[in-house]
Amino acid sequence: MPLPHATKRRLITAALVGPASVWLFVFLVLPFIAIIVFAFGERAPEGGYQAAFTFEQFANLGARSAAFVNTLILAPIGAAACLIVAYPVAYYLAVKASPQRRLLLVSLVVVPFWTSLLVRTYAWMYLLGARGIPHLFEFVGIENVRLINTPGAVLLGIVYGYLPLMIMPIYVSLEKLDRRLLEASADLGAKPISTFFGITLPLSLPGVMTGVALVTILLLGEYLIPQLLGGGKVFFIGNALVDLFLQSRNWPFGSAIAVTLVVVVVIVLLVAMRIAWRVAGTRQVDLI
Amino acid sequence: MRALVTFVYLFLYTPIALVVLFSFNAGRNASEFTGFSTQWYGRALSNTFLMEALRNSLIIAVTSAALAAVFGTMAAIGMERLGARTRAIFDGLFAAAIVVPGVVIGIATLVALVEVFGFINPVIAALWPGDQPPKLALGYGSIIAAHGLFTMALVTMIVKARIASLGRDIVEASSDLYATPFTTFRQIVLPQIIPSILAGFLLAFTFSFDDFIIAFFVAGSKTTLPIYVFASIRRGVTPEINAIATMVLVASLVLIFIARFLMRERTTTN
Amino acid sequence: MSKDYKDNLPISAEGFMDEFMRLKRGSVSRRHFLGVTGLGLATAVLSRFPGALSTPAYAAEDLGTQMSIATWPNYHDPATFENFKAATGVAVEVNVFGSNEEMLAKLQAGASGWSLFVPTNYTISTHHKLGLIEELDLSKIPNFSQATENPRFTKEGQIDGKTYAVPKNWGTTGFSVNTSKIKTKLSSWKDFFEIAQTEADGRAMVHDYQLTTIGSALVSLGYDFNSIKADELAKAEELLIKVKPHLFAINSDYQPSMRSTDAWLTMCWTNDGAQLNRDMPELAYVLGTDGGEIWTDYYAIPKDAPNKAAGYALLNYLMDPQNAVKEHIANGAPSTDSRVIALLPKEVTSNKIVYPDEAALTPLEFGAAVTLTDPGRAELMARFKSA
Repeated sequence: MPLPHATKRRLITAALVGPASVWLFVFLVLPFIAIIVFAFGERAPEGGYQAAFTFEQFANLGARSAAFVNTLILAPIGAAACLIVAYPVAYYLAVKASPQRRLLLVSLVVVPFWTSLLVRTYAWMYLLGARGIPHLFEFVGIENVRLINTPGAVLLGIVYGYLPLMIMPIYVSLEKLDRRLLEASADLGAKPISTFFGITLPLSLPGVMTGVALVTILLLGEYLIPQLLGGGKVFFIGNALVDLFLQSRNWPFGSAIAVTLVVVVVIVLLVAMRIAWRVAGTRQVDLI
Repeated sequence: MRALVTFVYLFLYTPIALVVLFSFNAGRNASEFTGFSTQWYGRALSNTFLMEALRNSLIIAVTSAALAAVFGTMAAIGMERLGARTRAIFDGLFAAAIVVPGVVIGIATLVALVEVFGFINPVIAALWPGDQPPKLALGYGSIIAAHGLFTMALVTMIVKARIASLGRDIVEASSDLYATPFTTFRQIVLPQIIPSILAGFLLAFTFSFDDFIIAFFVAGSKTTLPIYVFASIRRGVTPEINAIATMVLVASLVLIFIARFLMRERTTTN
Repeated sequence: MSKDYKDNLPISAEGFMDEFMRLKRGSVSRRHFLGVTGLGLATAVLSRFPGALSTPAYAAEDLGTQMSIATWPNYHDPATFENFKAATGVAVEVNVFGSNEEMLAKLQAGASGWSLFVPTNYTISTHHKLGLIEELDLSKIPNFSQATENPRFTKEGQIDGKTYAVPKNWGTTGFSVNTSKIKTKLSSWKDFFEIAQTEADGRAMVHDYQLTTIGSALVSLGYDFNSIKADELAKAEELLIKVKPHLFAINSDYQPSMRSTDAWLTMCWTNDGAQLNRDMPELAYVLGTDGGEIWTDYYAIPKDAPNKAAGYALLNYLMDPQNAVKEHIANGAPSTDSRVIALLPKEVTSNKIVYPDEAALTPLEFGAAVTLTDPGRAELMARFKSA
């Protein structure tokens, strides 16, 4: 007996979304429920988790306020620094570079992704350490320069690690730009600077917003760069989390911080979308 | 402007150049160049632990990217057929899988799996007829699963965007001509979305291969390449690490080149 | 670590001179020099003879091809693992940790993958209580001799008359100071925290380890190293948070930074102090006159060790006095075993960093088990780091 058409259609749909649904449930929803449950628990006497129902962990969030503040300051600053460096590069690639060279130059922006970020960051540890750039300073007579393990070093690592992620969306939005608009603007006697602020910049804003939101959100969960270039002193929430799970073994408190971090990310995302909405007018902006 | 752009490229490539340079260091320090040598390449290749870490990373990245490509594409197509409300739920979950920081994914997966294993393992032990019941533990499975979550969402997003831009009339025409839905899919839809699936696969592979933080939590006793490198930073990096990083870089450049070449061939023959 | 494997091969004359000049400049350790130039080979070959006596014990069991050990930074002679591999065919992966808490966290999460690890004296009772380690089968460690162990350092390996861990070596926690950069003479933890904020501003390091970092801060304030009293811990936290902006780093692996002179002052364990001083004589090792830690590190085998046979084999290999002597000379941590001390050259036994006078040890205390699990200390450390 053949199945009715509607049933068959539904079965096919279920088969198509089935595997992903199972995945999303088992590895996203379930773990989330787990950390929410854990966040209301207690630390076991020897560390780990012990069932309980208490708001103690959330009440204690203030003990990590410094890490939250640090992250919420350095993430947008890092994204802004990335933007300042990335914009001219994206502009050059999309507008100034000749088509033949463009492909090569764009590929060169992506290639660093193929070397481990860890290894590249380690190279910075060397460059910023006493045997690297400070050693060069000694040749000109400036002694005892310290670069590594400072917020500045972390910021540099951030710009380095996330620059390609900022360049690409801006480049894409600038590349779509109709050059005839720029020519028309020049023909009508507009100065290059007013063409830039009047036409180029507004049209590239969607790319800018995408890049800034992407980098900011990724930075909110950063661990490696502050760990390696901050000397265990410049703490992000990511570092505080790792510490709570892998050193002080306070799983409930760690879970509460993880839940809070997700809430912060969602808030940042909503604010970013709101701003994007406003600057871009009614144009649709894809943040992800 | 040109000078500035040149400077940015220098900034991007100085550390990479340094990594490659020190892979040819004669001395065992990754911080003092004492002469030219290729010995570290040989040592890296004969270091069982480093090779095992590389193999683990490749297995995990290929598996999770393949699963993500298949299931993610299926989901992207399936979501087209869902009602608006169900589709919104899926959209929300996939978006969450992408924006939730890796460190939280790692922790949450660890917490959940440790609990689930703690519940299931005694059950298996009670039901198992033999002496040594299998024990579920963190390892390949948990890393692939946790990476798969993010990468599947990535593939779904990319493929969905492509599907949205497809014209529906050709699909309708195909079914009007009595092609079965499967034939329509294989001959009409698939060729158009294959580039986005491949792009998704590549991104997924790259993400999984380079991920440290998620694997750090859920790897159990398995070592991936980033975990090995992180551990090396603590016990003192030798140019072996630089050698392996250089080899990975060269291998990926060769792959990109081949992919470019093949794509060019295809577009010219078509 | 297999990376040192070819270090034992003889090298060319140029290479020899090159290495010799590096040794003279102090940029490599003597151990490295002996290894690279092949002079170490002779020692390595000779030392295999005593080991040969116990080889039949290895042969009886299948040891597999690899195992993993969890230990501390700069704590072994890499040649040891190479020689072990040559003798047994088992490659050893070395995992390095900066605190006992980190090791405990890894064990508690399950599937650490280690077949041997190096816990400190005060943690063994907790590992036992949590069922993370197993009673050692002493018949598999014939090279271990309880009779020649110094009971002062080795009693915590036994619980209820059963042996759960055997001693690796003992040591102290003091600080290493670069005397060419810091002119003030430091002699106490009080000095340490003062200079860290003044003369060594931006150049001092503390451990990423609650026991020693909090303990030393407590000592500098005149409190007990092991205190868990809330008011005393609050005072220690106040001090640590005041010092933090002046620190170079919070990290238990301080040798690279001290060697590159990025850091000038650091909390330091005996073995690191001895290695640093051996290669760079300006790096002095100081024990606090106001107190500090004395410790013993042990070898123990996790209950879920994936390759117990190899774990025992390596443990037995390390307990062989001939091998222990070489480890001792390389890492500079004092031995608990009189058989080993008898074999040591005089320059080691007379080294005051390694074997300090009894008077210098008097103010020091062993860590107390309660500090490992005390939530107050754990949270204080985490707050200090994230402040």
